[in-house]
Amino acid sequence: MGAFETISFRPENCNGCNDCMIACAQAKAQSDDAARSRIQVLSSDGSYELAMCRQCGDPECVHNCPAAALSKDAESGVIDWDASKCVDCLLCTVGCSYGGMVYDVDAGHVAKCDLCDGDPACVKACPRGALKFLTTARIYNEVGNLEDLFVPGLAGCQGCNTELIIRHAMRRIGPEAVVATPPGCIPGMGTVGYNGLTGTKVPVFHPLLTNTASMLTGVRRYYKRIGRNVKVVALAGDGGTADVGFQSLSGAAERGEEMLFICVDNEGYMNTGMQRSGCTPYGAWTSTTPVGERGRGKTQDAKNLPLLMVMHHCAYVATASTGFMEDLYDKLDRAIEASEHGFAYLHVYSPCTTGWRFPSDQNIEVSRKAVRTNFVLLWEFDPQSGLRLTHAAEDPLPLAEYVMALGKYRHLSEEQIAHIEGTIAQNVKFVKGLAAGVPLAAAPA
Amino acid sequence: MKRQAYEFFDQSAIPDDLCPIATKPSPMLPGDWRSMRPVVDRAKCVKCAQCWLYCPVQCVVERPAWFDIDLATCKGCGICATECPHRAITMIEEAA
Repeated sequence: MGAFETISFRPENCNGCNDCMIACAQAKAQSDDAARSRIQVLSSDGSYELAMCRQCGDPECVHNCPAAALSKDAESGVIDWDASKCVDCLLCTVGCSYGGMVYDVDAGHVAKCDLCDGDPACVKACPRGALKFLTTARIYNEVGNLEDLFVPGLAGCQGCNTELIIRHAMRRIGPEAVVATPPGCIPGMGTVGYNGLTGTKVPVFHPLLTNTASMLTGVRRYYKRIGRNVKVVALAGDGGTADVGFQSLSGAAERGEEMLFICVDNEGYMNTGMQRSGCTPYGAWTSTTPVGERGRGKTQDAKNLPLLMVMHHCAYVATASTGFMEDLYDKLDRAIEASEHGFAYLHVYSPCTTGWRFPSDQNIEVSRKAVRTNFVLLWEFDPQSGLRLTHAAEDPLPLAEYVMALGKYRHLSEEQIAHIEGTIAQNVKFVKGLAAGVPLAAAPA
Repeated sequence: MKRQAYEFFDQSAIPDDLCPIATKPSPMLPGDWRSMRPVVDRAKCVKCAQCWLYCPVQCVVERPAWFDIDLATCKGCGICATECPHRAITMIEEAA
């Protein structure tokens, strides 16, 4: 068993240009005739639908084939068609509900998509991003059999991005770890347990908001002294990191303590009733920056905490988002590795359905939009190679697509949006400047 | 692929002169919070694992030919249905 790569189609991005069909015909039939393509985009009432093989989990075409010419590859998930066995009965075309089996008149055989060995020509040809090749199945195949280190029932809100982050992070970090969760949503949802029960399958403790990094310093040093390599991990909110928790964080980073500090940034004190924090962006509604006759949301800009951590010369600093999971996993791996010899800091943006006021099913889409509008920049830093953007900041979507999706920004005036756009432009310029600069330290000898 | 599982920590290894330390996992299951229930259309599932990847509760379980939802813990947020690239998951209302 395992997961497989797939091609996704967003009809709202398609304009029926047929570039994908021509690319497929060229790649698979050496022809410019779109009719010979294995991918067919069909128009109906101004919208588009896709007819192509989806490499089904339980393929009807394979069941129907009397000659065993079709088979599902257990590794790639691709349904292979064997020309030497095919008897041209076309029963496979009858079984398929998705128009995946094409009859190629010129060749006199059926033809089907084989995902171009993991590099589909149609996806590369699509100029509008309507077709996407999703390769995230590899994450499932890599870590899907590792145990989730939290109990099945945590009391995060429906669609909680923070719960998603901590479950993925701890699964990757593994059981040889001690976790600290300062006050906030993470212990609040039950990771430290209720009523004498625990919510985490590794040792977990609940420091004060102020001393998370100091306590982990001691825990790590103790285990080192007794000769055990135990990873120490902080799962903290933005309040426990940027505001109240900052002095101990800054001290531990300056001393280069060996730990992994993960900040789950939901831009406010969401657990206690959505108060503003130092990470709350300009213009955002919170319960302490209300919107009414006089108030129009927060009047100050957010502090850029990950850049502050860069200035601490940490062994590794990165920003990540659950909208870009492969990137998040890469950074998690690097952060875990860096925490073996220095301070690793991972800043993950975590849209909060309850506090930001948007429907719970939109959480990942909001994460994606935050990055695509440059509201959130994804980058990583280590002293040897300097800062590197991991998601190009060129051609961002209009900011309105992000802010208007969120209830906390719905009141924004044009001047306020212009202010945020100005801040984003400044931030992009600043981070790009850092990315173009030289590494802060020479490589160790 | 056998699921890797770790031993829960050993209660007897904990000194009894410390502050109370919890060693039993919380049995709370949030499945009854749900007002909308995800239903997977097995024929449409291609096992791309997008639902598993983005499920905050991590309640998506693998079956031989499709991915299914563990309804004991699913909170019904609807992320899986929104993210499924092949529209194999629909949210239906829970019966009252």
